[in-house]
Amino acid sequence: MDPLFLAYSYFRRRKYQQCTDLCSQLLEKNPYDQAAWTLKTRALTGQVYVDEVDVDEEGIAEMVMDDNTIAQVSRPGTSLKQPGTGKGAPSQGIRPMSQSGRPVSGFVRPGTQGGRPGTMERAIMTPRTAHTARPVTSASGRYVRLGTASMLSTPDGPFINLARLNFAKYAARPNLAKALFEYIFHHENDVRNALELAALATESVQFKDWWWKVQLAKCYYRLGMYRDAERQLKSALTQQEMIDSYLYLCKVYVRLDQPLTAVEVYKQGLEKFQGETTLLTGIARIYEGMNDMDNAVKFYKDVLNFDSMHVEAIACIATHHFYTDQPEVALKFYRRLLQMGVYNGELFNNLGLCCFYAQQYDMTLTCFERALSLAEEQTLADVWFNIGHVALGIGDMTLAYQCFRLTVANNNDHAEAYNNLGVLELRKGNVEMARAFFQAAMVTSPHMHEPHYNWAALADQLGDLQSSFNAAKRAVEAFPDHVDSKELLKQLRHHFSLL
Amino acid sequence: MIVFSWYRGSNEKWLDAYKDPVASLYTLTQCITLSDVQADGDWKLIIADLGTGTFDMKLKVYKGTNLMSENTIIDLPTGVETFYMDTHEPRTPAIAVASGPYIYVYKNLRPYFKFTLPTLEVNPVEADLWNQVKEEKINIFVLREMLEGMRAEGTVLTVRSLRFLQLQDITDCEAFANLYRFTPLRRQTVITSLATLKKSHADEDAISCLVLGTESKSVYVLDPEAFTVLTTMELPSVPVFLSVTGLFDVEYRIVVACRNGCIYTLKRGTTVTTKNCIELNSQPVGLQRINKTIYVGTMDEALHCYTSKGKKLWTVKLPASMTTMEIIDYKPKGFKAVIVALSNCNVHIYKEKYLVNIIKTDDVVTGLKFGRFGREDGTLIMTLRAMHRTFQRDLYLLRLNTAREYVKSLENRMNPISSDPQEPLKLNATVQGIGPMFKLTVNLQNTSLSNPSTNLLITFQYDDKLYAFKNSFIEVPMLVPGLNYAFETYVECQSDKGISDNVKVYILRQGKSIPIITGIISMPCTDVEPIANVKKKNQDDF
Repeated sequence: MDPLFLAYSYFRRRKYQQCTDLCSQLLEKNPYDQAAWTLKTRALTGQVYVDEVDVDEEGIAEMVMDDNTIAQVSRPGTSLKQPGTGKGAPSQGIRPMSQSGRPVSGFVRPGTQGGRPGTMERAIMTPRTAHTARPVTSASGRYVRLGTASMLSTPDGPFINLARLNFAKYAARPNLAKALFEYIFHHENDVRNALELAALATESVQFKDWWWKVQLAKCYYRLGMYRDAERQLKSALTQQEMIDSYLYLCKVYVRLDQPLTAVEVYKQGLEKFQGETTLLTGIARIYEGMNDMDNAVKFYKDVLNFDSMHVEAIACIATHHFYTDQPEVALKFYRRLLQMGVYNGELFNNLGLCCFYAQQYDMTLTCFERALSLAEEQTLADVWFNIGHVALGIGDMTLAYQCFRLTVANNNDHAEAYNNLGVLELRKGNVEMARAFFQAAMVTSPHMHEPHYNWAALADQLGDLQSSFNAAKRAVEAFPDHVDSKELLKQLRHHFSLL
Repeated sequence: MIVFSWYRGSNEKWLDAYKDPVASLYTLTQCITLSDVQADGDWKLIIADLGTGTFDMKLKVYKGTNLMSENTIIDLPTGVETFYMDTHEPRTPAIAVASGPYIYVYKNLRPYFKFTLPTLEVNPVEADLWNQVKEEKINIFVLREMLEGMRAEGTVLTVRSLRFLQLQDITDCEAFANLYRFTPLRRQTVITSLATLKKSHADEDAISCLVLGTESKSVYVLDPEAFTVLTTMELPSVPVFLSVTGLFDVEYRIVVACRNGCIYTLKRGTTVTTKNCIELNSQPVGLQRINKTIYVGTMDEALHCYTSKGKKLWTVKLPASMTTMEIIDYKPKGFKAVIVALSNCNVHIYKEKYLVNIIKTDDVVTGLKFGRFGREDGTLIMTLRAMHRTFQRDLYLLRLNTAREYVKSLENRMNPISSDPQEPLKLNATVQGIGPMFKLTVNLQNTSLSNPSTNLLITFQYDDKLYAFKNSFIEVPMLVPGLNYAFETYVECQSDKGISDNVKVYILRQGKSIPIITGIISMPCTDVEPIANVKKKNQDDF
């Protein structure tokens, strides 16, 4: 068989390593074989290819040193940084919040865990469930690692030496240039050179190829030049409407913190590409980020109309139903996930919780048992925590205590478990222990209002009014509508003013 | 959970008589029977309760709706029957409970006699092995290996050998072998099904023999007075359901549904069983007989009817899978029908192949019995799968597992909070930074009221190829109760592969090797590619 044909066959079957090896042999025989060279470039890119549209996590640099911000204090409901008052969403007391002051999502995506930290110290601290520190900037090593690229690559030096490449020559040859660009962008992760090549290439086709404009936008986006990226994408869209370009443009707007514009663009895209689930999901994600659960669920339901196997949509709707007091409905959605073949600890944990709250007691503990056996180290702590909640529900304090202790043993900074342990210790009358637990919870997760309030109430009883006042203030800061904290604060103020 | 409904001849077919949702019974059709055990004309309900499935098994007798007596059963019951074993007046029947290799006979609700099944032949190799252990010629490792080999070859082993192979711990194995090596090795079988057969008269209160099916693929007929085996019949497979008619001394038929999906008919004097064999398409769930027709419910959601010769008459497709079945024989009206419980919480009554009545229940029915109860001729008793009971059983298990895990974590001192009242400490650790240099902060707090902690040390366990600690050993000053102390060290990630590992923090007391508390930190990945110059400069800064 013709080796080049075989190499192509490998490429199509995604056997990139075999394809690369075969191409290398061909290139040894004839270093000027353009077909083999292009194929090898594409195979190497294919090995590390990451869907640019989806994977995105804001780096510390973008977040803390954001110079694109126009207004520091934006109107509520127009910014992702200060999520709205929560239309249709249950209160914070019912649906727990992530660090960003946003309700926990039903589906873990990059960026749903951490949120935007207030201070530099919070930013460099590891967020709890994500369990890796966030990237310094998204232009850094994180992208390389996502694709496990050049770090682990070829023993005999890089395939293409970028420093010696004459970009102008390649830019004039569109058949080579596109493969080369993707190689530089994805495999070498060298955005600067990729940008140079793209700029030359788009010039050589008289700015008539939308593809190059999108690639330019990608480079600008990586370099943090969002306005330039926006201009390129808009220009590309006038030439050729593509779903990818819409998605990318919205990503740019999200980064610019203009969620409403992003939704607008998504909707424009939907006019052209009706029922495109990626666009619908995008809208739903933005509404979810803005704490507008009514709209988020509406769009997730739209997604399901077009793709009834969409895991993210099912999971998010299920979570919404669970927290709005409809565990039976949530159970239906989670069961659907199970039928679709999602089989992991998290799902069984959710099924167990739904069963418990929907009073289907015969399945509850079986689900949790399954969850325990399937869970990985990090989720194990959360499974124990939820079993602890079931134990609290049936009034078995000993079991609950053991479960929370196991939670803490599995995950040393599980603030919710510390808080609950504190309450249990308080019931037993161990004030000092309770205080230590509340403090641990406050240190590890300052965004939770429960430990602050609990400590405030305890300190109030002990007569330590100063600590109580400070803690109650922090509780109100974390959850402005918390009635008990506000009552306590009012009482303390009254007390202070009397003196 | 238990429901009593009474049969009435009017339009309304059934009358709800009694329902006890917290009876917490776990039983099956084979373990329910109705009988006039006190010969006072007031029929009692006798139930062998399977308890949790492992313990708490009880024989319960209900008089009306009240629990009259309760006897503990040692092993899991597999069948309950009442039979007349003598001709004494008043005519009180005995209760036979099949459980493990024994039949427990109760008279006047008191234990009366225990019948043990004849033992089976032990595999000579196995017997020889245990003999050698007894004489200490071989050690337990050889024994274990040999037994495992035998099991792999498919040899049927004794319960003792199987239990021995189940043991995980070497010390347990040794203790087990030492304890049992002097007792003779026996192979016993287990009763799978129980029925009765009238001996020589067809009267209602005539003396009956017991018919048992066993795990060793045989059917025994027992003499009711002397408790000796009258007849033994071998089958090609393990019998699971028995249906018996006729008289032992004259002529009888035993229809047996077996685990291989076949139904065999045994007659007086037969030795060959393969004649008149009915081969089913699926596993049988229930077997009943009305006159000369055999009704079989199978796992493929169907109810089949066969003649006693083995000819199929008809098949009815059921709307859901069947859980159990029972016969309605209502003599005052001459009404005979099959009653079938389904997994969709319905109970169907089939008169021949026609569905005549449906009863809806709250939950899945596991046990059914129709007969005379109290002074009412037509009573249907249903036991439901109790959701609450399942939950309770799971909860016991969960409590046990949790306690085990908890003890394990205490033994390993894996907890970040000390449970020792002498060392009231709490630890939490945070990692800050983006790599390759991280700052690790260990927060220690003395949680006692007034006892200061002294002589403590902090040390770390880590992969030294991956991380370098600036300070891997920290001496802790005296800890004043209630205050939070922070101890910091710098950790450098040595790898540029973008991998990370767990680091353990131990708090030790001077002179003791077991840590008081342990914290596990999962280190974040390094985000910046380490560049030699920058790294150097950083280190100088520190």
